[in-house]
Amino acid sequence: MRAPESSFPRARIPYGTWGSSYFPAWQTSALAEVNIGQFAGEGFARILGLRKVPLRHLEYMVVGSTIPWHWKFWGAPFLSHCAGRRIPGFHVEEACATGLQATVLAGALVQEGDSEVIGVLTFDRTSDSPVGVFPERRAYQRTVPISDVWDNFGFDPATGKAMIATAGLAARKYKCDRAEVDELALHRHEQYFEAKASGFLDRVLVKLDLLNLQGRPLGSIDDDLGVRRLTREDLRAMRELDTCVTAGTQTHASDGMATLLVTNEAKAKELSPRPEIAIRFIAKTEVRTSPALMPEAPAIAVRRLLDRTGVTMNDMAVVKNHNPFAINDVIFAKHLDYDWKRMNRTGCSLVWGHPQAPTLTRSLIEALEEAVSLGGGYVLLFGCAAGDVGICALFEVS
Amino acid sequence: MTKAMREPGLRTLGFDGVLDLFRKGSLPASAEDLIGEVFGGGAERGSLVISGASGIVGAGKAMQLGSRLHTYGVRVVGLDLPGAPDGIGRQYPGLVRAFGRDEADRIMANTVRLHYDGKRLPAELRGFKPRFLLEAIPEILELKRAHYEVFRAAFPGAEIRSVTSGFPSSALGVPIAHPAFPHEINKVWEVVEAKPSAVTRLFWALGLIPVPVGDYWSFVLDVLFCGVTHAALQYHGRSNMPFWKADKFVRRALGPNPFRAHDAIGAKGADFLTWSCLHHLAEHYGGLFRPTPELVERKDSGRDWYPPEHSRPLVDWKLTAEEAEEFDDQILGAVLQMTSLMLHEKRAALPYMNAIGELCAQFRSGILAVARRLGPEACRAKVAAYQAAHPDARGSAWHPEAFDGMNDAGWRQLYVNAEHDGRVGVITFGRESYNGDVDAELNRAIDWLRAEGIERVIVTGDFHLSTQLVGADTSEFYPALGRIEDGVRIAEGWSKTARRLHREFRVSVGFIGGKRALGGFLELMMHCHYLIAVDGTELGMPEVTLPVVPGMEGCHWTFRKSKPESWPEILRLLLGGRPVKAMNAVGWLADFAGPLDEALRTAWAAASGDSALPPRKLEERALSGIPTEVGGLPETENPATLAARKAILDTIQASCGAPLAEALVVQAKHSAAFMTSAACREGRIGAEAAKTLAV
Repeated sequence: MRAPESSFPRARIPYGTWGSSYFPAWQTSALAEVNIGQFAGEGFARILGLRKVPLRHLEYMVVGSTIPWHWKFWGAPFLSHCAGRRIPGFHVEEACATGLQATVLAGALVQEGDSEVIGVLTFDRTSDSPVGVFPERRAYQRTVPISDVWDNFGFDPATGKAMIATAGLAARKYKCDRAEVDELALHRHEQYFEAKASGFLDRVLVKLDLLNLQGRPLGSIDDDLGVRRLTREDLRAMRELDTCVTAGTQTHASDGMATLLVTNEAKAKELSPRPEIAIRFIAKTEVRTSPALMPEAPAIAVRRLLDRTGVTMNDMAVVKNHNPFAINDVIFAKHLDYDWKRMNRTGCSLVWGHPQAPTLTRSLIEALEEAVSLGGGYVLLFGCAAGDVGICALFEVS
Repeated sequence: MTKAMREPGLRTLGFDGVLDLFRKGSLPASAEDLIGEVFGGGAERGSLVISGASGIVGAGKAMQLGSRLHTYGVRVVGLDLPGAPDGIGRQYPGLVRAFGRDEADRIMANTVRLHYDGKRLPAELRGFKPRFLLEAIPEILELKRAHYEVFRAAFPGAEIRSVTSGFPSSALGVPIAHPAFPHEINKVWEVVEAKPSAVTRLFWALGLIPVPVGDYWSFVLDVLFCGVTHAALQYHGRSNMPFWKADKFVRRALGPNPFRAHDAIGAKGADFLTWSCLHHLAEHYGGLFRPTPELVERKDSGRDWYPPEHSRPLVDWKLTAEEAEEFDDQILGAVLQMTSLMLHEKRAALPYMNAIGELCAQFRSGILAVARRLGPEACRAKVAAYQAAHPDARGSAWHPEAFDGMNDAGWRQLYVNAEHDGRVGVITFGRESYNGDVDAELNRAIDWLRAEGIERVIVTGDFHLSTQLVGADTSEFYPALGRIEDGVRIAEGWSKTARRLHREFRVSVGFIGGKRALGGFLELMMHCHYLIAVDGTELGMPEVTLPVVPGMEGCHWTFRKSKPESWPEILRLLLGGRPVKAMNAVGWLADFAGPLDEALRTAWAAASGDSALPPRKLEERALSGIPTEVGGLPETENPATLAARKAILDTIQASCGAPLAEALVVQAKHSAAFMTSAACREGRIGAEAAKTLAV
């Protein structure tokens, strides 16, 4: 294999300067009661503080979220204000691809050279999502209220289909076997609990304590609440909501934030507690597949990336994805002829939930941390996003 | 010939010591005489001019001085630019609260406001016969100098003082009277002048606290306050800890809320002054003081340090024990290094340097008391830890030898001094609340007097730094809220000290000359053979309102010294929490109350053995017949107050019912036990402890 060239040769992700909150399931934690933007901004400063990165290094922010929040209009400037550093930045949104897209955009900005250190900050709160009231003169109701999370999950205006329907359609197209899907879901849960027991997640996840308006404790975000210890029997007994989709083989809504830094080589060495580690951007691809077949889109994106870079699946040290449905992984394995047991060794969003924007950010952090623990190599990260989109990126840890 | 443990504070103002004051039977100077000296007498009486009178400092001082000068016929003329906001008018509601509407109206009627263009003085100013200019214009050196020239040209004989927060007198060309926030009520003025002047003595005579300091860039208060702010900013810079949280950790470590204080004063102005102070100090002393980028930004923007109401902090910041220790090292290390500079330069007498932090910058204990508790090696270790994180501070204004000599009297007696003339001694308190440091220093003062062969002593405030004696420093009780042993240790230890005043002197006289003596300090004074007070002084035992149970034998000592018919009065004092005027407490609490000069003479006569005042006998046997209830208590349904009343009543019965030899332990146990009760922990001290310690 010829080593692929980096898409942004100047850009680096400084090892060990990242962090994510736990992702409690929606309505289970104090995150349901707070402004998630403010939480993300303040949590960002806290995580960087724990990682010994003074805020004064930051020059720019790329922030991402998908669910409207109070003061969203003010975007990155407001979030950096909450963090305690007045710097510019912009907001990016691409459903569940947001975290990876924001990271790649930050890499492009560093490559461009205007900013040395960029904070990537992604977050979402599915709990108590806002309800938008839209004037729709052509609708017979004249005015349409939309509950941002559930109404959008339930209806793709381009196809008229719900998210879950795309999973059922894809499962039927690929003739997925319920038993295999259940087995995969069980395995994914086991992977998560093993990683948790090993202490791996402690290197990625940060406990954050929340205060109420009076400054008194409101609650601690200290666990991925909502993750269940499932058995094979539990999974088999679950009612099928669509083909191969049960409550145990699909993800759940959750709340949270995740952040990392993107910078240049010299600054990465300055900021990282292990300056000998280099994390480079190699490539990114993005595809849109046929209507209502979202779960197959990531596999197509990965295939395209492999073709473009010349890297093979056997070259990968870590493979990780955002998999709102277990069939995503089954389809990926069929497409790429890859053993799904080799993927997601430290957990995945099927298990710990789906707050959208920060999902792939947390996945990326976990993947990079895992790659470092393995001594380096290629990290493949991919996932699906609303609109039958698949996104994929390749990083190199050396 | 008077001998003292260390130099009495009054001497630094050009007066004799406290012992002489008692011997002469009068204060060393009268306000009336000094008013005449500064402002002229009769028809020639002139005015006080405050330039920059609409600013925070100018307006505050216009009110503080105006409220004292108007009765002497001294007009206050406030001078400012035409567009300046009405700072003086804003003071009126506060004046009404403090003095009542009629008096507030009189003070305001005596205050004249004039506008000028900053270059030429208004013609009508001459009609007010200016005799004293207090300059409070912006911190721009050339502007200030030009202002003095204009004023001197127009009024050549007038006194001038600058309130500058940073320029030395040598740069300004005038003496300095540097006040402390909040300017309406804070009595402390750091004074820079060649020798104590009539202005300084007048300030003292008016009940203010002038404190002589050396002529250096920035003052003791500013080095401490700006220094602790600077240290917190540096910690923020390393850790990202938000300012509001750093503020709370600084409060836990030392006492001040530097960022909240800046916002309260007005961030724009306060940030500029802090930056200006640090900027000038950095120019003269180097990196230790170099302002952080965050301060520069706030100085320019005027943004508050605390988040606005609509985005109150959401994510908390906790520190592990190790991180908390590092935080303390970083804050204390910086402030101790700055302190080493002030010690090296001898910027002020040690008790002043220590007291300024407490009186003006919210330090729970003055910085020298903190350093003394640590010891020289620990001080140097903290500075080393700070410098390891801030190499820029190395070699910049660091004087490690400054912490040597902690065994010298100046270091050992920061709060308590003693003087004697070979026959009569006086012990003076320079701190208004009693704490462990005061207790230790009082013991050393007693030891010293006894070693000097003194058997007669007067115990009193220092007529300078302490204008009242408000009782125990309740922050000392925080550990006792959780551990009964700590409460017993404090109550027994302090009571034993108090008993020394009774047992180890042939005659001891407690003299109360300030506004009030309350709680622990009153209990201490009770132990003297005589208690003599100025007639209007308030004496009180407010413990029931906190609530706590008195721990220094207040629940039995006074009963033992008074007749049974007075016991209901004592019961009312203890259970009601309301103070009594000294003149109404003679015979059962005080031995004498009268006008100041008479009280001074009476105290001296009693101490000298020349008094006809009979000492009240202390009953050492168990008392019986102590009433279990009393009328005239304030109505309350507050469960905490009711619980405290019951506990105090139980303590009275138990401690009075024991012989004197056992009563100390009995009372200490009761007091300590109540401190661990829900009523106390949920009361004022518990709330203070939670606010301070539960960060």
